Amino acid sequence: MQLVGFPVVAGIVLLAFVSNTNQTARNKLNNPIRMASFAFSIGLFAYTTWMFFEVFANITSDGLAFNDYKLHDSYEWFPALGIHWTVGLDALSFPMVWLTTFLLPVTIIATWHEKNGATYFPTILLMGGALIGVFVSLDLFMFYVFWELTLIPMFFLILNWGGKDRRYASQKFFIYTFTASVVMLLGLVTLYLMQPDQIGTGGRYGTMTGRTFDIPTLVEHATAANQDGWFMGESMQKVLFVMLMLGFLVKLPAVPFHTWLPDAHVQAPTGGSMLLAGVMLKMGAYGMFRLPLSMFPHALQHFQLALMIFGMVSLVWGAIVCLGQTNLKKMVAYSSVSHMGVILIGIATMQPMGWAAALFMMFAHGIISPMLFAVCGAFKHHYHSMEIGAMRGMAKHSPWLATSMMFAWMASLGLPLLAGFVAELMMLIALWYFIDLEGWSVLWMIGPALVLALTAAYYLWSMQRTIFEGGDETQPPATLHGDLIPDITNEEKIAMLILAAFTILFGVMPWIGLDMMDDYCRTFFEHMISNGIFKGGA
Amino acid sequence: MQTTQAFSSEFYSALLPELLLFAGLLALILIPNLGKGTFRIPGTQIRLPWLLGGQRFSLTSNPHLPAWIATITLTGAFVAVADSLNGGVEALSVVSSDADTAKELLMVNGFSRVFELIFFGALALASFASMNRLKVEGVGGKLTEDQLYNNRRQADFYILMLTCGLGMSVVALSQDLFVLFIGLELASFSTYVLVAFLKESKAGAEAGMKYFIVGSVASGVGLYGLSMLYLWAGSLQFEVLATAFATSGTEPLPLIGIGFVLVGFGFKVSAAPFHFAAPDAYAGASSPVAGVLATASKAMGMVGLIRMLLIVAAPEASEGSAVWLVCLGALAALTMTWGNLAALGSTNPKRMLAYSSVAHAGYMLAGLTAVGAWTWDPSFAGSEGEAALLVMTALLFHLLVLVAFKLGAFLVLSILESDGDASRLSSLGGLARREPLLAFAMFIFMISLAGVPPMAGFLSKLMVIMGIVNVGVGNSASSLSDFHWVWWLAFLMVINSAISVFYYLRVAVVMFFEEPEEGREGPLPSGWQVRTSILICVLATVLIGIFGDSLLEMCRTAAESLTTDW
Repeated sequence: MQLVGFPVVAGIVLLAFVSNTNQTARNKLNNPIRMASFAFSIGLFAYTTWMFFEVFANITSDGLAFNDYKLHDSYEWFPALGIHWTVGLDALSFPMVWLTTFLLPVTIIATWHEKNGATYFPTILLMGGALIGVFVSLDLFMFYVFWELTLIPMFFLILNWGGKDRRYASQKFFIYTFTASVVMLLGLVTLYLMQPDQIGTGGRYGTMTGRTFDIPTLVEHATAANQDGWFMGESMQKVLFVMLMLGFLVKLPAVPFHTWLPDAHVQAPTGGSMLLAGVMLKMGAYGMFRLPLSMFPHALQHFQLALMIFGMVSLVWGAIVCLGQTNLKKMVAYSSVSHMGVILIGIATMQPMGWAAALFMMFAHGIISPMLFAVCGAFKHHYHSMEIGAMRGMAKHSPWLATSMMFAWMASLGLPLLAGFVAELMMLIALWYFIDLEGWSVLWMIGPALVLALTAAYYLWSMQRTIFEGGDETQPPATLHGDLIPDITNEEKIAMLILAAFTILFGVMPWIGLDMMDDYCRTFFEHMISNGIFKGGA
Repeated sequence: MQTTQAFSSEFYSALLPELLLFAGLLALILIPNLGKGTFRIPGTQIRLPWLLGGQRFSLTSNPHLPAWIATITLTGAFVAVADSLNGGVEALSVVSSDADTAKELLMVNGFSRVFELIFFGALALASFASMNRLKVEGVGGKLTEDQLYNNRRQADFYILMLTCGLGMSVVALSQDLFVLFIGLELASFSTYVLVAFLKESKAGAEAGMKYFIVGSVASGVGLYGLSMLYLWAGSLQFEVLATAFATSGTEPLPLIGIGFVLVGFGFKVSAAPFHFAAPDAYAGASSPVAGVLATASKAMGMVGLIRMLLIVAAPEASEGSAVWLVCLGALAALTMTWGNLAALGSTNPKRMLAYSSVAHAGYMLAGLTAVGAWTWDPSFAGSEGEAALLVMTALLFHLLVLVAFKLGAFLVLSILESDGDASRLSSLGGLARREPLLAFAMFIFMISLAGVPPMAGFLSKLMVIMGIVNVGVGNSASSLSDFHWVWWLAFLMVINSAISVFYYLRVAVVMFFEEPEEGREGPLPSGWQVRTSILICVLATVLIGIFGDSLLEMCRTAAESLTTDW
């Protein structure tokens, strides 16, 4: 599909354009390259939006069967190994693809004045291409290739445009996630080779092994095998489930695999953080839905409790750690960990509503967290500090920044009518379904209840200490060294406005995206129940 | 399969690449000596020009000429091999006579052709790149004796390159352990001298000496093993040995013999614990030579191992799985772990690459172990050895693509060496600012070595892992405890890959992040030859990673032709 190829090719072409020039010539190229990247990303966004209205907006729930893909395309890639270039979109991947194409132009606007733009903007495009590749690929090999490919532009974004400790952060980021994904790779390879021989053979289809990397075929096969027994056998299904989940949990990240995230975020440039939090974390949750949950439902049931515990720990631990942070960006990073806990809990409830909550959380957090990081970036950029308390009473000096911060913070803590609220409410309801109101299981509610308060506390408290309380009108903060107090630039204002508008849009009319997610989860569960894999359920 | 004798017409057409090398060798010896030398007929004053010696012609005295001859010869040989692979190779066996007692000497088939491709490709790139490495002190005209002497050394270097290639291809072709040993020694002795060729530097001389001593001990041990095998079977023919192994292979004498032979080849692939000379040799040799050691020389060692383990002591010759299996598996685990841990601690990029090459040897040995294990599951043996075939394809593919990114990495270091020094990690500092394209190329090589998609290194590593897992899970295993233990080698390999990312990335970080060393801020010395070689390596690394299907097919055909048993 063109969607993947174009940003990658465009990024490479633009990079090649600047590769052999010296610094001064490159500075001259900043503007044209920025314009080209921006125009290109806008085009992509228009394309996916058109795709939404053309294909996904008018899909009724009947037209959306489980394991059915729109815009499905397949070409041979390595026929000797049965590897294909297979792409397709369903209600699970489309929102993520749309989100990526939405964030690309917004990121470019928000970081309009980033230094070395001639190389920065093409890197952003490459990043976007790799992310889209992860979401559209329906071939295990291709999925893994793009999964790893996202690391390279992000590594360079952190390394070249990051903060003071960027060297440590970028290496930690790469090594952590790479380690997790090679374990996942071994799981994928074992899965590939343990699938029964010769499914759908014909011609040169996997001549070397007689097996397939095709995800829809695998899922179809897994469903058939799961009906009366365990796909791959009981112990193997559990082992593979754990191996795959490990890769995804580190990416998500869930406590205790989260330690790379705060470092990466704090050191990453604003644009890198926006894409990292907005889309890259969701790759973990997306991968869970796409592979282990679809193929290993028995193992999911078996590990349901463990997942719930992972989710609860991430949720609570992330929130508690947030309270103690003195660095604004680190706090936001830990709040991401906390929100990813919501996704895990949603999955672990094993309710259609919980899953829809998880999917919508992925989407909503993908719009809200870039705004959080854009605000942090603005602080860094204009006040040269992200220490909470280093600047006070900012609302008087920089009303735009203060307003954006307030809006983003409120959206993230789950204010009704904003996008985050919908997901959190659905998660709570699904959790009530899960605990069935008997015995001690009600204690599960303590976590979310506690976190509701904690989240409000750390967000409000940090706001109070940065933009409201104190501050001297005549005396700018010490970090400015006597310079005038600036407000955010016009470009940043536009980016904030766009993000805020969409946060409201999806808060007031969540059904635009929620409908298809809901349908996806419902058909998934109906499919599992009608095949006798799940018993009962909501 | 056709058979033919030496010097028949089929012989000439099949061994065209080797004959080309031979012709190039003669040309290298003769052409630089062409001059205005005359010959006086005794008793007269008539002088007949006979073109040898005397004042050299301006063309033949050009010190760059040997490099061009060697590069063109090796490229020609490479093209000849590629051309014959293109149309599908018909196996041709060269025998000593047409009598019934004839000995089989050489075998030209897809398997040996692929290895020739590896050898000639690596050597051609290295020769081409060496043009910028060996200093030429003035061309033509008035040169001092020292300068002239230095220029004459050029010919020596490239003669050794060609003999190296010739020896290696004999190893790949041979069907007789004795012939194989001769080829091995021809190649080894060439590499000993090549390593020590930078005699001006202490490191070069020391490296050459160490490499020579350890290498000759290893060869000696191997030769001793050969003598034991000869004592036991009465012949060193692969066929005879294989038959003898099938009947009585578990006797102590052949097992000890084969163990000794493995030491010899283990040194060549730099498997732990026979790898100790490798880091010193790589660090002391000039970088293109080190690149040859890490790619072509290693591939030569792998040919030896494959021939010895899979053809002679074939797995199906013993019950269940091969007798050497546990031993080789332990060696593989030790080699990959040791190599990676040692690479973590080394701050000299060349030593780091040497240890990474040890680690890669470990991955390949793990693959070889899996090939040895494929008969453990009886249902596999019936499926025409599909599992073993996959691993063997992966091994060939890995050796083939290794040339692109391993040699490429050494060539980048080579440019830095001609800038002064590449023996510290900080020598790479600021490379991204000094030469962005070179830094980018080095980054591609590093992530390909680490096995990050979509580079060729990922595809090859994935293939090896996939092959091992395929053997490990068998046809009917359904839980971890049912797996053959080679599956855990794949697991170890995955863990090792994760460890290795750290030191590969460190190179990238130094290049992109650190300041250049004092006084090394400017652009690097020019030299379009080495840059062209690097460009070829980068293109191969990326393009094979994305469009490598036809190469995979070729490796598969080659693996099929190795033996008829699967």
